[in-house]
Amino acid sequence: MQLHFTKDVLPDSVGTDFQNLNKLNEQQFHRLIEILFQFLLEPKEAERFMQQLTEFAGEHGMSAGPLRNLMKSVLLVPQGALKKNLTGEQIKEDLLTLGTHPSPLGLRHYAALTRLAVGQTLMVNQLVDMEWKFGVTVGTSEIQKLGTVFLQLKLVVRKGNSTENVYMELTLPQFYNFLHEMERAKASMECFS
Amino acid sequence: MAATVCNEDFTNLQLLLKAPSKDAVREVCVQSQRGLSRRLTESTAATLGISEAQAAQLVQSLHALSHYVLFYNLSSPEQILAIFPESFHSSLKNLITKILLENSATWRTEALSNQISLPQLKDLDWRVDMVTSSDSVSRMSVPTCLVQLKMVDPCSSAGSESVSSVTVELSRESLDTILDGLGRIRDQLSVVAGK
Repeated sequence: MQLHFTKDVLPDSVGTDFQNLNKLNEQQFHRLIEILFQFLLEPKEAERFMQQLTEFAGEHGMSAGPLRNLMKSVLLVPQGALKKNLTGEQIKEDLLTLGTHPSPLGLRHYAALTRLAVGQTLMVNQLVDMEWKFGVTVGTSEIQKLGTVFLQLKLVVRKGNSTENVYMELTLPQFYNFLHEMERAKASMECFS
Repeated sequence: MAATVCNEDFTNLQLLLKAPSKDAVREVCVQSQRGLSRRLTESTAATLGISEAQAAQLVQSLHALSHYVLFYNLSSPEQILAIFPESFHSSLKNLITKILLENSATWRTEALSNQISLPQLKDLDWRVDMVTSSDSVSRMSVPTCLVQLKMVDPCSSAGSESVSSVTVELSRESLDTILDGLGRIRDQLSVVAGK
């Protein structure tokens, strides 16, 4: 079997699993696709995934064990497709090769999944929020009357599983420099789109 | 810290009459603005030929006077001359006033840069990368931006300024959001400036 989504030789059981998908009616098939993609979008929710499959099996008079194995096989396709940047066409071909009908619903979900996978790309010290306030310093202990503008920024940076707050102050010239540099960075980013 | 000058201060200031030259007066005035120190007391005592106790009081009085002038931003000769009592030595009064006026701009700038504040943004560097692959997506083309912010804390307890830096990664969306926020700040600033 020539497949796009993997170069490995698949065990026979995988082929059988995909054939078994055809035994499901459309409603059941759609529900399984939903459960599948819900898991793909939130890969940490393995327990929820298993629970949903068990419930599904109970509702439709199937054994939970074989259903779980079936889904493990089915998972291989979107996971492999994502890694290899397959197009919708290539996935359709693979599914036909495996003996099951490509589902438009599945393909739509896959598109959303690719966007998410890119969005989940490792980011180091990701900036998650920026808060600011600016005002006027009216006086200090050394100078009774002032009218200087200040800007205070709070940056919320994700470090691992927690966030860290970074506080800083900018004078007016520093603010304009910051703005200017960020505009240059944006222009540089746009060159690549 | 309290900006007041009392009669006792003016009595102490008259010790300056013992100074050998106008430059010596100038030197003591300028050094006193920074604050008291053992070294300053000793050198003042030596220059003026007075006791260290007297020198210490003189420095303190000069400090009070320069801070008074700085605090209330007295910028004309008339304003400063008006602080002195009637009986104060006339030429010394004029000399001190002149010295205070000469230095007040510098002292004001210094006070402004030394005022308490959150760590100040001193330097900003950035770089734009193109992410071409990851462990879950083998091929992609996504720009990302790294920004390094260097901050200096002017009031760190270590005595000298402490420099810290943080490097953050920004996605395109984050950068757009930041620019949005900065744009709003700039607009509001121009409203304030226009008033």
